[in-house]
Amino acid sequence: MQIDVMYRPAHSLARVLLPHGESIVAESGAMVGMSPNVQMQTQSQGGLMGGLKRMFGGESFFRNTFTAQGGPGEVLLAHALCGDMVVLDMTQVGYFVQSSSFIASTQNVQIETKVGGFRSFFAGEGVFVLKATATGPGQMLVGAFGGVEQLNCDGNLVIDTGHLVAWDASLTYSVGKSGSGWIASFLSGEGLVCHFTGQGRIWIQSRNPTAYGQTIGKLLPPRSG
Amino acid sequence: MQYQLLQKPDFTFVKVTFDQGGEQMLVEPSAMVAKDSAVEMKTAMQGGILAAAKRKMLGGESVFQNTFTATAPGQRLYLAPGPEGDSEVVQCDGSTPVFLSSGAFLASAPTVQLDTKWGGAKGFFSGAGLFLLKANGYGPLFFCCYGGIHAVDIGAAGYICDTSHIVGFTGGLTYNVEKIGGMKSLFFSGEGLVCRFSGHGRLWISTRNPGGLASFLHPFRPVQRG
Repeated sequence: MQIDVMYRPAHSLARVLLPHGESIVAESGAMVGMSPNVQMQTQSQGGLMGGLKRMFGGESFFRNTFTAQGGPGEVLLAHALCGDMVVLDMTQVGYFVQSSSFIASTQNVQIETKVGGFRSFFAGEGVFVLKATATGPGQMLVGAFGGVEQLNCDGNLVIDTGHLVAWDASLTYSVGKSGSGWIASFLSGEGLVCHFTGQGRIWIQSRNPTAYGQTIGKLLPPRSG
Repeated sequence: MQYQLLQKPDFTFVKVTFDQGGEQMLVEPSAMVAKDSAVEMKTAMQGGILAAAKRKMLGGESVFQNTFTATAPGQRLYLAPGPEGDSEVVQCDGSTPVFLSSGAFLASAPTVQLDTKWGGAKGFFSGAGLFLLKANGYGPLFFCCYGGIHAVDIGAAGYICDTSHIVGFTGGLTYNVEKIGGMKSLFFSGEGLVCRFSGHGRLWISTRNPGGLASFLHPFRPVQRG
């Protein structure tokens, strides 16, 4: 399977070339176009519980599997918001992915939803994280709001939760306050941050969707309820 | 008439340079960015009241369109669409019409005839709103969308495209609006309706759709009290 990301960075579009019989699993709503020999199947991966857990994490209950039949096929995938996409090759340790950044993965990639803990959920900046692992070679497509920058963590690093896209699962992380106390953290406007320790790569997005939503949202007419 | 697409692809806009006086460009209202002051602007309902009303109601285009007329060689006219994203130009050659989805029209030479084509009852009742502007004749036709524009050259195998991502296509293609997958997909896939294209021609797809941005922003709107 080959995944090409075109029209980078602002309005990126991923073209997935599927050899006969191969499949890609994509987040619901990500498909923009496809060749007619590609069959789409809607499934709740991980069963009912898996689906519910995902829904709780701000993702969709169902994911779609696209399979090329009777020859090679292509699927075009895009993110809802403007920004870049990156293709990550699966590694032995796997990745953690901020749930709304996940777009698609090869069929051998196992995706598990991790809830970021009561504290982060309560703070309204729920860090819902997916763990992606694969036994063999595989790929995962993740999307960002804004540009994508790869940071290397050598020891420790602090990243705003709203700017996280994905990171190597070799890193340990904990979500916490940005300052020394809760009040300082709140006043700084930095909200929640993710503390990383260890060695590994972290992909961040150059814009924070929540901050964008708040900037534009308050200018819009009120909605009812 | 010469033209250039500047600042491609994220914030594309169009520069038209007229070769001689009397050359004209038909432009969607509010699309003009700049012009040489001697270029004349005239606002009119193209094709009379009925054609204009049909265009507005069905094609989502404006009732009025502006015609810019050069008065001397070398005069310039700059045009831009409302949303951020790409613009493209296609040369109408008199043989094959070009269909644009609602809101994709930016400008055209006056020798290009514009008409609204009923997208078919199926498209209408399914809420897909596939009303198309049919452009036929000679000369350049400029169109735009929110997001990037990706061209797909469709051959014998055909192609499937999400209805909300269609920008336009050439007349050699026919389409059917349909659902993909089974009953479960209809309700849960999140993919909505698709157009199944067959025939030979070119399809332009937008890499983003403004509805996606609007649904993202909706929860951030203040809530009405009382």
